[in-house]
Amino acid sequence: MLYKSSKPAATLSPMQMKRRVLTIATLAALIASACGGGSSLDEAAEAIYSGSCADDNGQTVTVYSGRTEALIKPVLDAFACETGTKVDVRWGDSTELALTINTEGDRTSADVYLSRSPGPVGFLEANGHLGTISDEVLSLVAPNNRSATNTWVGFSGRKRVLVYNIDTVSADELPNSVFELTDPNYKGRVALPATNGSFVDWFTVFRDQYGDDVATQWLNDMVANDATFYPNNRAIVEAASRGEIDMGLVNHYYNYQEAAAAGDDHRAANHDFDDDDIGSLLIITAAAITATSDNVEAAENLLTYMLSEPVQQYFSNETFEYPLAAGVAPADILPPLDLDSSGSGSVSYDDLGGGFEQTTAIIEASGILNQ
Amino acid sequence: MTNLGTGNPTAPRARARAPKARQLTSGAPPALRLVGLVLAAGFAFPAAYLIYRNFSEGADPGGLLISRRTLEPLGRTLRLAVSVSVSALILGTSLAWLTTKTDLAGRRFWRVVLPIPLVFPTFIGAAAFIRTMNPGGIANDLLANVGVERTIEVRGFFGAWFVLTLFTYPYVYLPVAARLAQLPGSIEESARVLGDSAAQAFRRVCLPQMASAMAAGTLLVFLYTVSDFGAVQLMRYDTLTRAIATNQLANPAAALALSLILLVLAGAVVTVERQFSNRQSQSGRTRGNRPVIYRLGRMRWPAFGFVAFAALNSIGAPMVALLDWAYDGIRRATGDGRGLTIDAGDVWVATYKTLQVSVIAAVVAVGAVLPIAYLVGRYKSRSGSVANAIVISTFALPGLLIALSLRFWTIQSDLAFNLLDNTMALLIFAYVVRFGSLAMGVALVAVRSVPMKLHDVSRTLGAGPVRRFFTVDLPIMSSGLLAGAGLVLLSVMKELPISLIVSPIGFSTLATKSFSSFEDAFVAEAGILSVVLVALSFVLSWFLVIRRAEHL
Repeated sequence: MLYKSSKPAATLSPMQMKRRVLTIATLAALIASACGGGSSLDEAAEAIYSGSCADDNGQTVTVYSGRTEALIKPVLDAFACETGTKVDVRWGDSTELALTINTEGDRTSADVYLSRSPGPVGFLEANGHLGTISDEVLSLVAPNNRSATNTWVGFSGRKRVLVYNIDTVSADELPNSVFELTDPNYKGRVALPATNGSFVDWFTVFRDQYGDDVATQWLNDMVANDATFYPNNRAIVEAASRGEIDMGLVNHYYNYQEAAAAGDDHRAANHDFDDDDIGSLLIITAAAITATSDNVEAAENLLTYMLSEPVQQYFSNETFEYPLAAGVAPADILPPLDLDSSGSGSVSYDDLGGGFEQTTAIIEASGILNQ
Repeated sequence: MTNLGTGNPTAPRARARAPKARQLTSGAPPALRLVGLVLAAGFAFPAAYLIYRNFSEGADPGGLLISRRTLEPLGRTLRLAVSVSVSALILGTSLAWLTTKTDLAGRRFWRVVLPIPLVFPTFIGAAAFIRTMNPGGIANDLLANVGVERTIEVRGFFGAWFVLTLFTYPYVYLPVAARLAQLPGSIEESARVLGDSAAQAFRRVCLPQMASAMAAGTLLVFLYTVSDFGAVQLMRYDTLTRAIATNQLANPAAALALSLILLVLAGAVVTVERQFSNRQSQSGRTRGNRPVIYRLGRMRWPAFGFVAFAALNSIGAPMVALLDWAYDGIRRATGDGRGLTIDAGDVWVATYKTLQVSVIAAVVAVGAVLPIAYLVGRYKSRSGSVANAIVISTFALPGLLIALSLRFWTIQSDLAFNLLDNTMALLIFAYVVRFGSLAMGVALVAVRSVPMKLHDVSRTLGAGPVRRFFTVDLPIMSSGLLAGAGLVLLSVMKELPISLIVSPIGFSTLATKSFSSFEDAFVAEAGILSVVLVALSFVLSWFLVIRRAEHL
C-alpha cells in the first residue's frame, strides 16, 4: 500500500506520509473510543411505564433473550426504569442461547433466560441448568402454561394457525382440522416449517396426545400429499403473501407482523382450525431463572413484571401475541382463545422420554426435508 | 530472529531434501517457529473442543458416517460445494482478469463494487434474493408488466448453487485480482514479443502465476459452502449443516459427530490443495514493471455486459428487496403507520461498532497468519504446514460451534475466565480464529511472491531482518495482504453467532441488529440496517481499492 514503483520503497512522499498518519490516527480512534447509549425511555417503553425513572437500587439482572430486541427491549427498558434494577441483555437465537448456557454451565452470567418456544427451555431443564421459580410468580398464569416442576413460566402465547394466500385460496376450501390437510384437495398446496422450533414443539405435543403411530402417519401422509418444506414461519408467511404457496402451518403472529409492516401489499391471512383441534395449539414463549443465578430476587421481580397488566397489555397490543396473565384480553384483531383448555404447558417435555430426539428422527425419516 | 532469510538456496542439505524447492531454506528461525506454534494453538481451540466433546458425549462419528441419515446430506453438501467452487472459480477469476488486466469500461467502479456480495449475511441476502426473484417477487412483477411471465423458482440445489456462487465469488475475485495487480508485466510483454497471442500469453504466463491464488480462493469457497446454513436452509437444500442444526438440542452427540465429519472433510481438502499449490512456481514482482493492460476491442461491450450482469444478480437483486423493505418502512413510519423500532442513534452506534471490530479483527488476522505464511512459504516448515491446515480447515466449521468452543475454553480456568470473559479481546480473538483462514491463503501467496534475490541483495548491503521485512517484503506483499484484510473485514461485518455469543454483553453490530429485526418480521428495520451495512462496505471497499490503485 505504501509502495510506489517509481520511488525507493523506504522513502515516503509528504502525501504518503500524510495518508499513513491519517490511517494510523483512524485506527487509533477506532481502538481507543467506546460508546455509551442514552437512558430515556422511548415511545414503545412508555406505553408500559410513563412515570419518571427510579434511582438505581443496586440490583442487576442479566438476561439471555431468545426473544428479539425489537419486541422485548421496551419491556426490559420499562422494568429498568420503573424499578431501578440494571438490566444487561445478550440477544440471540433461542436455541443458540440455550446451547450457550449449557456450555457456560456454572459460570454463565445469565440470570434469566427468555425463549421463543418451550423446546430450548426443556433442554436446559433436562440438563439441570434451571432453578425453581417461586409459587407467587408461577401462580400468575394458568397451570397449563407453566412448568410442572416449577422451572419455567409462560409469558405470552402464539397460536398455531394456517396462513393462506387470500387470492388463490377461497374461504370454503379452508379446513377445520390439520387432519384434513392430507386430503387430495390440498395436494401440493401446504407448506410445513419442519425444522423450526415451534413446529418441532408442536409435533412433539401432537405425538404425546395422539401417539407416535398417528402422528407419524399424519406426517408421512402430508409428504405423500406433496406438502412442501420451508425452514421457518416467516419464510412461509412471506411466500404465501407472494403466492408462491397457497397455505402453510405457522404461528399466528408472523402474519400480523408482516401485515403491520407491508399493509395492503400483504396478501396472506390467518385461518384458525377448530378450537379443540391439535392444529390450534398455543405455543408459549417462556421465561426461566438459571440454577446458578446470584440475582434471584431481581430475576423474580423481572418475571413478575413481565406478567403484570401493562406488559401483558403490551404483548397483546404491540406484538399481537396472546397475553397469559393479569386477566388481560387478547387484542381485538386476535380470535378469542380459551386459556384453560389450550396450551402446551400441560405437556412435560421430560415425560416424553427423549421427546425431541424421537421427533427429530421422525421428521428426518418422513422425507419432508427434501420436499 | 537473526537468521531470518539467511537461507542459502544452494545449501546442500536443502537441495538434498527438496531439490525443486528453489528459494527455500533448510530451517526456520526458532523464534518464528515458536510464534507459529503459539498461533497454531490459538487457532486449534475449536477443533480441540470438537474432538474433546465427541469423546465426552460418547459420540460415534464413525457409526454415523455410514448411516443413511448422514450420507445423504453429506453427499448433497459435497455436490453443492464442488459445483459452487467450480462456478465461483470461473466467475471470480474472469471478473478479476477483466477488472485488472483489461480496459473494461468503468473498471474502477467495478473494483469497488464487486467485493460487496461478501457482506450480505446469508440469511437476509438469500431472503432478499427470494423476495426479488421468485414467483410474485419484485423482478417478476416488473417483468410481468412488460409481458414476460417468468416462473423459475430459485430453490433447492439450483437455488443454493446460484445464490452461493453469487455470494462467494469474491473469495476468488479478491486474491486473484490482487495477484494480477502485482504481476510483473515484463514476462507477459516478452511472451507477446516472442509471438504469443493474448490468449496464449494468458494461458502460458498469467494462468500459472494466478494458479495458487485461484486455488486458495476456491478452497475458501468450498469450505464456506460446506459451512453455510443460512442460504441452504432458505433455499431448502438439505445439507449436513441442517442435520447439525436440527440435532443440536435433540441429539447433541449426533450434532457433534456430524461437525467432526465436516472438520475431517475440510482437513482432507486443505491437504489436497496444499499439494497442488506447492507445485506451483511463482515469480515475484520486479520493480518498475507496469502490468500489461489488454485492449478488449470488439469484446468491450460483451465484457461490460457480463460484469454488469454478474453485479446485477449478486448485488442488485438483494439490494432491490432490501431497499424496498427499507423504503416501505420509512414511508410508513413517517406517515401514520407503525413506527420503526430503531432510531438514527441505534443505527449510528451499530455502524460504529461494526466498523470498529471489523477493522481491528482484519488487522489482527493478517498479523496472526503472516508468521505461519512465512513458515510455510519461505521455510517450507512441516509445523508451518500443520498450522496452515488448522487455520484454514477451521473455516468449514459452523460459526456457532466456533463461538461455543471459545466460551467453553474461557470457562475452563479462573485465570482465562477473569481475564477474558465479557471482553472485546475475546471477541476479536474469536473473529480472528473464525476468519484467519481468509487471510491465510492470500498471505501465503504474498510471501512467496517476494523474490529471494532481493533479500540476498539487501542482506549483502547490511540490512537487518526487521529492516528487510519492512523495506523489501512488506511493500511487495502489500496488495495481497490488503486483499486478505479486505476478505476478513467484510466477513466480520456480517458475522452472527460470534457477535451474539462471544461479545461483551450489550454489544451489537449492524448484522446482529438486522438479525434481531428480521427474525420477527420487522423487515423494514432489517432492510435499513442491511442497506447501511452495504453502504459501509462500499466505503471500505472504495478505501481499499483506491489505496491499492496507488501503485497500479
